[in-house]
Amino acid sequence: MFDTAEPGQFVLVDTGPERALRRPFSVAGVTADGDVELLIALRGDGTRALADLPVGSLLTIMGPLGRGFMPPASRRAAHVAPHAAGATQGASEAAPWSPDADPWSPEAAPWSTEAPPAAVVVAGGIGVAGVRFLVQRLSSAGTTATLFVGARTGDTLLHTTLPEPDAVHLATDDGTMGFRGTVCDLFAAESATLPVNTKIYGCGPRAMLDSLSAIADERGMACELSLEEMMACGVGACRGCVVSTVDGYRTVCKDGPVFDASVLVPERCVIEVADG
Amino acid sequence: MVDPSIRLAGLRLATPLMLASGTVGYGPEYDGLVDFSKVGAIVTKTVTPKPRAGNAPPRLAETRGGMLNSIGLENVGLDRFLSEKLAEAGRLPTLVIASVAGETPSEFAALCEAIGEREETAGLELNVSCPNVRRARRPLWADPDGVSAVVAAARCATDKPLLLKLSPNAADVTSVAEAGERAGADALVVANTLPGMRIDVTTQAPMLGNRFGGLSGPALLPVNLALVWQLSESIGIPIVGSGGIERAEDALEYMMAGASAFQVGTALFRTPSVVDRIVDDLTQHALSDGVNCLSGYTGAAKEADTTCLRTRAD
Repeated sequence: MFDTAEPGQFVLVDTGPERALRRPFSVAGVTADGDVELLIALRGDGTRALADLPVGSLLTIMGPLGRGFMPPASRRAAHVAPHAAGATQGASEAAPWSPDADPWSPEAAPWSTEAPPAAVVVAGGIGVAGVRFLVQRLSSAGTTATLFVGARTGDTLLHTTLPEPDAVHLATDDGTMGFRGTVCDLFAAESATLPVNTKIYGCGPRAMLDSLSAIADERGMACELSLEEMMACGVGACRGCVVSTVDGYRTVCKDGPVFDASVLVPERCVIEVADG
Repeated sequence: MVDPSIRLAGLRLATPLMLASGTVGYGPEYDGLVDFSKVGAIVTKTVTPKPRAGNAPPRLAETRGGMLNSIGLENVGLDRFLSEKLAEAGRLPTLVIASVAGETPSEFAALCEAIGEREETAGLELNVSCPNVRRARRPLWADPDGVSAVVAAARCATDKPLLLKLSPNAADVTSVAEAGERAGADALVVANTLPGMRIDVTTQAPMLGNRFGGLSGPALLPVNLALVWQLSESIGIPIVGSGGIERAEDALEYMMAGASAFQVGTALFRTPSVVDRIVDDLTQHALSDGVNCLSGYTGAAKEADTTCLRTRAD
C-alpha cells in the first residue's frame, strides 16, 4: 500500500470526529509488506487519542503525500521557480513522485557511477521521525550518512529509533547526554572537517532548521529541510499550511514538506520585516 | 427510485451537494479523492482580479467543534484562472461555479464578465463575505447598499446564474439578502464563516498570523441553519445552506429549514469520502420517507411548523 512512499513524504491521520483536522506524520519507514511505520510523540489531544486506541484499531490514513528528500547527488532543480516563471500547466504541478520517475532508483541515482557525496542527517527532537526512513534509504543505497541528533534532555533523545543508533553524534541542551548545547552547535563544530560536496538533511524545530540552513549556506553545502505545519486538505487545495519562500508562500503539504534550504525565508527574518 | 438531482437558479445539479469555496482549491486537487459525479457543483477558490499572496501564516487553528482559517483569499488571479485553472476544473464531471471577489462593483463586474463568458462556467458565486480581508469602512457583507451595487454590476456583466454568498456576521442579514435579491441575484449561499480567534497559552500569542480567522465546522451549523430559516421567510430566490455539514442529517436540517441545496467544506478535510456518504445516505432517507426527489425536503420543517402552530391556535 505504501510501497511507493519516499523518504520525507508524510501521511495524514484521522484522529477522530472531535478534531476537524487530520494530523500529519512523516513516513518513518515502510515494512516489507508495504505497511507504513509512524513514530508519534504525544504532544496534543490528537496524538493522545491515537495512543489511547487499542492495538489492532483501524486508522484512516491518507498518503503518501508531498515531496520528499532527494538523493545526495541530485538537487531538486527549479523547486519553486516554475510557479514564478508562470510556466505552462503540468510543468508547475507535476506529480511529485511516481514509480517511473523515482529519484531513489539505482538508474536515477548518479552516485551509482560516481563517487558518492557525503550525507549528513541532522534531527532535533521528534524530527528524528522525519529522517528515519531517509537514513534507511541512504544506507541501502550505499551512502554512509553522518547522523546528528539533538534533544532538550537525554530522556527525550530519540536516536535509538534510528537504524544505527551507535554511530550517532548526540547533543542535549542540558548536557545530560552527549555534547552540551544544540545539535546545530555540535554540527557547526564538526562541519569544518566535512567535504564541500556534503549534502545536509534536516528535520526538527523551525529555529533549528534555520540555523542549519545558515551553516549550510556558509559552507556552500546543499541542504534540504523537512518542515511541519498544521494542515487541512493535504493536497495543496486550501492554502492553509503555507511557509514563506523566496518565491512567496508555498504549501508544506504539496510543494513540501521538504524544501531546498536556499528557497526558504528564515522565520526570524519574517518577523523583523513584519515589525519594521 | 429517488431522483437526487435538483434545480437551482436555472441549473440542473446532479445532487444538492456542492463543495464550498476555499476547500477544494480549483477542483483538480481533489481528483481521485472525491467522486465528482456525486457533486452537484464545485465552487472554486475565490478569484480576484490580481493574484493575492494571502495572509501571514499560521493560517489554521483547530477549535472544539471546528476550525479557524485566515487564508486571506490567496489565489492565482484572474489571468491564470482563465488560462489554466478553469479549463482543468471544467474537465471534472460536475458543474463549476467560480467564486469571485473584487474591491469595487466594477471589479466584480469585470470578473463576472471574463469568467462568465467561458463555457466551463456554470455560474458565479459573489464572495462579499470573506472575514479575512479588510475594508476601509463598513465591511461589505454588512452593507446592503454596497452589496446591491456589487450584485447589480455583476448582473449587467453576465447572464450566468449569480449566487450571493452572505456572512452570518451582519447585524441585519435580511436587509443584505433582500438588497441582493432586488439587485438580481439568482440564489443566496447562507452562509460564510464567522469571525473568531484562538490564543496559544504557551506562547501567549494569537494562534493565527492574522489574529482573526473564520470559524467553520459543526459549531457553525446552528447559527447558519437559523439564518436559512429566517431568510427563507422573506426571500423569494433559492437558498443554498452552508456551515458545519458533516452528514446527510445535517444537510437535511438545512433543506428542511428552506435550503434547495447545500455546501460541504470543512468536513472534506477530515473525510474526502464524506461526499459519497452524504449523497448515499440522503437517498436512503428519501427512500424510507417516501420522497421521490430530494427537493421534496426543501422547507419541510416549515410546513410541519405551520401545521403545529395552527394546531396550537385551534
